[in-house]
Amino acid sequence: MSTENSSVAEEQLVKYRREPGMVLQMLRGIQLAQNFIGPGDIETLARSLNLPTTKIRALIDFYSFLHDQPRGRYAVYFSDSITDHMLGSRERAQQLCRALGVQLGKPDEKGLVTVALTSCTGLCERGPAVLVNGIAIDRIDEQRVTEMAGLIRQQVPLGDWPLEWFVINDALRRKGPLLDNDLRKGEAIERAIEIGSQQVIAELQASGLRGCGGAGFPTWRKWDICRGTSTEQRYVVCNADEGEPGTFKDRALLNTYSRHVFDGMTVCGVTVGASKGFIYLRHEYEFLREQLERRLQRRREINLLGRNILGHHGINFDIEIIMGAGAYVCGEESALIESMEGKRGIPRIRPPFPVTHGYNGRPTVVNNVETFAYATGIVARGPGFVAHDGEDPCWKLLSIAGDCRSPGIYEIPLGTSIRDVCEMCGADDVQAIQVGGPGGILISADELDRKVSFDDLNTAGSFIIFDSSRDMLEVALNFTHFFKHESCGFCTPCRVGTKLMQAMVDKIANGHGARVDIEQMQRLHHLMTRASHCGLGQRAAVPILTTYEKFPDSINDRVGDVDFKPAFDVEAAIERSKQIVAEETRS
Amino acid sequence: MSGRIRIDGVSIPFADGQTVMQAAEDAGVHIPHLCYHPDYAANGSCKLCTVAIDGWQTSSCTTKAVDGMVIESNTEELNSERRALTQMLFVEGNHHCPSCEASGNCKLQNQAYRLGMTALIFPDFTAGRATDATHPDILLNRDRCIYCELCVRASREADGKDIFCITGRSENKSLAINSDSGTLADSGLQVEDAAANVCPVGAIIKKRQGFRKPIGQRDYDERRVHHNKVRLPNLPKLDKAPGEKVSVATCSLAGCFGCHMSFLDIDERIIELTQRISFDRSPLNDIKHISGPVDIGLVEGGVCNTENIETLREFRDNCQVLIAVGACAMDGGVPALRNHLDVRDLLEESYINGRGIDSPQIPVDRELPYILEEVSPIHEVVKVDFFLPGCPPPAEAFWLILTDILDGRQPDLPYDLLRFD
Ligand SMILES: Cc1cc2nc3c(=O)[nH]c(=O)nc-3n(C[C@H](O)[C@H](O)[C@H](O)COP(=O)(O)O)c2cc1C
Ligand code: SF4
Ligand code: SF4
Ligand code: SF4
Repeated sequence: MSTENSSVAEEQLVKYRREPGMVLQMLRGIQLAQNFIGPGDIETLARSLNLPTTKIRALIDFYSFLHDQPRGRYAVYFSDSITDHMLGSRERAQQLCRALGVQLGKPDEKGLVTVALTSCTGLCERGPAVLVNGIAIDRIDEQRVTEMAGLIRQQVPLGDWPLEWFVINDALRRKGPLLDNDLRKGEAIERAIEIGSQQVIAELQASGLRGCGGAGFPTWRKWDICRGTSTEQRYVVCNADEGEPGTFKDRALLNTYSRHVFDGMTVCGVTVGASKGFIYLRHEYEFLREQLERRLQRRREINLLGRNILGHHGINFDIEIIMGAGAYVCGEESALIESMEGKRGIPRIRPPFPVTHGYNGRPTVVNNVETFAYATGIVARGPGFVAHDGEDPCWKLLSIAGDCRSPGIYEIPLGTSIRDVCEMCGADDVQAIQVGGPGGILISADELDRKVSFDDLNTAGSFIIFDSSRDMLEVALNFTHFFKHESCGFCTPCRVGTKLMQAMVDKIANGHGARVDIEQMQRLHHLMTRASHCGLGQRAAVPILTTYEKFPDSINDRVGDVDFKPAFDVEAAIERSKQIVAEETRS
Repeated sequence: MSGRIRIDGVSIPFADGQTVMQAAEDAGVHIPHLCYHPDYAANGSCKLCTVAIDGWQTSSCTTKAVDGMVIESNTEELNSERRALTQMLFVEGNHHCPSCEASGNCKLQNQAYRLGMTALIFPDFTAGRATDATHPDILLNRDRCIYCELCVRASREADGKDIFCITGRSENKSLAINSDSGTLADSGLQVEDAAANVCPVGAIIKKRQGFRKPIGQRDYDERRVHHNKVRLPNLPKLDKAPGEKVSVATCSLAGCFGCHMSFLDIDERIIELTQRISFDRSPLNDIKHISGPVDIGLVEGGVCNTENIETLREFRDNCQVLIAVGACAMDGGVPALRNHLDVRDLLEESYINGRGIDSPQIPVDRELPYILEEVSPIHEVVKVDFFLPGCPPPAEAFWLILTDILDGRQPDLPYDLLRFD
């Protein structure tokens, strides 16, 4: 065992003040610096933080973007989200593999490159997308892959790659009160201090704002509960994990509207009595991190963050960015907090909820990026900020991707019909729409009169359109694989269930399925929905079963009129024997 | 707050801070569970203790009792979900009870019995996790680990050692050891540690202690553990005129004929039986092929080669009711222990490198069946109507099942006749 300290690890230890809770951040730093975490790095961290090496390895094994084996100078990840898939990501990945003479998912022998697939990267409207050494590049076409292969072969440093590749624009297609506003930076904070906590909460209540991260919990209540806890230390956490495939509105908000997000977090801090806020930013958004850090620094300089904010004595609040390392489940608020504390992202036993027992056991408000941004407008200008003529209060950002003329971000009043949304984005050939991501609801073209709202089609933002050329079983297959890959493995129904589901969907897709498999999936789905520990397992079997319900032909055509087919392919199972007999006969 | 809750209509008291599970245990009401243990913090991962509280499903080990709660636990719906969970744990790991040191003392096996699990229905994952035999007195067989995390908790909470740790996620989840070598050898684990004694299954076992207690005296052998009979899943009714003889065919695939021997152990009752049934193809009469439609097919053994597949299909095509008999038919059994080996290694061991082999040569005769890459349970190849587990199933169980079918009853197996070993 080496006793020499790893200098890369040492750098990270210094950067994160040798706090054991920051071990995940350190590991990520090491990974990005050298594309793997070696035994020396692990030992240095273990010694310095007084943690068993196994616990550090446990983190590396849990998070998708951490590796204990070298990935080469270039780690290239193609997004395997269904939207990228539809834009040809798999073909582009294969093309790059061929051009570089490597196999998908396997580091090459020369230590140059690894080309692999990863779950949705949040660039769905501008796919296919890749991450190279953690940095996003969008709109990958044949030409770009050819050029990229050349750059990699010649070992051109990433900093010298064409600059325009790294410019990620926001396709803001339809603006409402949030995307088109004249709010001054800090305006909401001023007003929050002026009107006081009680009034802030009353205005949030009057506005009808509910959480934009999926669950739709009334924002005022969460803040009110947190405020009512008896403790000195509370926290505000902005959930920027945005892992639901098809969602990219938080990315755009952080890119272009970050001051509203920061204002909203600060308002929350002032209101609930928290002096520390965190943004949990997904690993895939590394490209946003530096500019966010710069903007936070700037806010400190003009006293929008820090001590005695805007000259108000005793009002202190600061914001720190914590990065994810590749785990969809870490978007679930209690898993997110575990991850922030430097652990594996396993959802906690709830209750108690984070709002009373959150980060480091303290009351913590966890809200989505968009929730904070809307809160800013409401607190600055009153509940009228989000008012509109419809019945459902508030607005919502949709991330529209898939088969339409103008994919991008649309701010719509809640209660808008799907038909109207399709019209806005130029979707005239609609076979199906997945509202709310893989864990959401699949609707068919007969259901266009349904509405985007908490009571009908609830979505954190994901809105994926499939035209009549799409094979709906392929879509369900992609989602089923996604859930199996992302299951945290904690509870039996999800850990084993997602794997069984995947096996059965694969079996059907490969033409080996039968009615017995469909019955089996239905039973399993029932169990997973009712017994899983968190939303991931509860929703993991929904895609395939809704596909069966709404697009039965996509499955029945494959299954045919058969009750039973073997679980394995008998011909394939004797291949090895046949080969041996052939070899033996020859010799 | 203390008060009373109702579980399946029975009112029981609870003390301040107790969970539903703790209150139930104190009151002697059994809620099935695997990862719960009174001495350690609740984990809530196995999900067997899922109950319905006011119509809402949740783990009883992590839910605090609240005065007036109405809880359903022992319902057919919940029990069938629990049965599915035990089936999932069985296929996820490698649970070949006949060769397991923990058999008879294992909580997973016991829950499976109590819940009336007779079949595995799901495809086997053929887990191939590393075994750790480095410790002089303790063995860790990861293939049997169900991730209850009891060893993790016991080591941390009771022993103050923190030796075990969960790593990975999804199917790559794994149990790791906090030691320099990553093995138990230098972990500091001792035989008397709570962590070495808490494993509910046969994953952490003491060396040289296996199979000490004879069958009949093990923790969960006796009827005193559970008096209820196990209602087995529905069996199709036979279409027979009264007095008409029922035809039965039997065969052994990759099995040891032990199930057939056990069947014959019904002794003189075989005479009574032959008055009501006639045998078609069977090793008992040496008839080699089924003559036509048969009422009941009994299949022993797993599927290891192409000939097994042919035989099995002949049975399925001709038998109205197909019954998988014994551990090998149910999960591949002992022959499935080869599933981690390459076919060539198998053949070379058997025909070239093995002991006492004369003129070593891998046979290539076209007449010989091809060996499958893995030995599979028969339900992975054909539809199976009914499972009779056991290694072998007791003679009494054969008798019960067959007479129940002949008399047109739904079979109920008493607890002590349902066994996997
Ligand atoms: C598996 C899973 C993934 C989730 N991912 C996200 C996410 O990426 N972003 C998010 O804001 N909320 C996500 N949530 C919801 C959060 O748990 C939580 O409800 C939300 O952050 C609360 O903020 P809100 O009230 O502002 O919506 C996820 C939930 C589950 C069960
Ligand atoms: S449902 Fe899945 S993701 Fe959620 S805790 Fe269970 S295993 Fe983990
Ligand atoms: S007795 Fe052994 S093989 Fe059987 S369930 Fe228990 S641990 Fe698994
Ligand atoms: S080894 Fe035993 S006690 Fe430890 S997690 Fe596995 S099953 Fe549970």
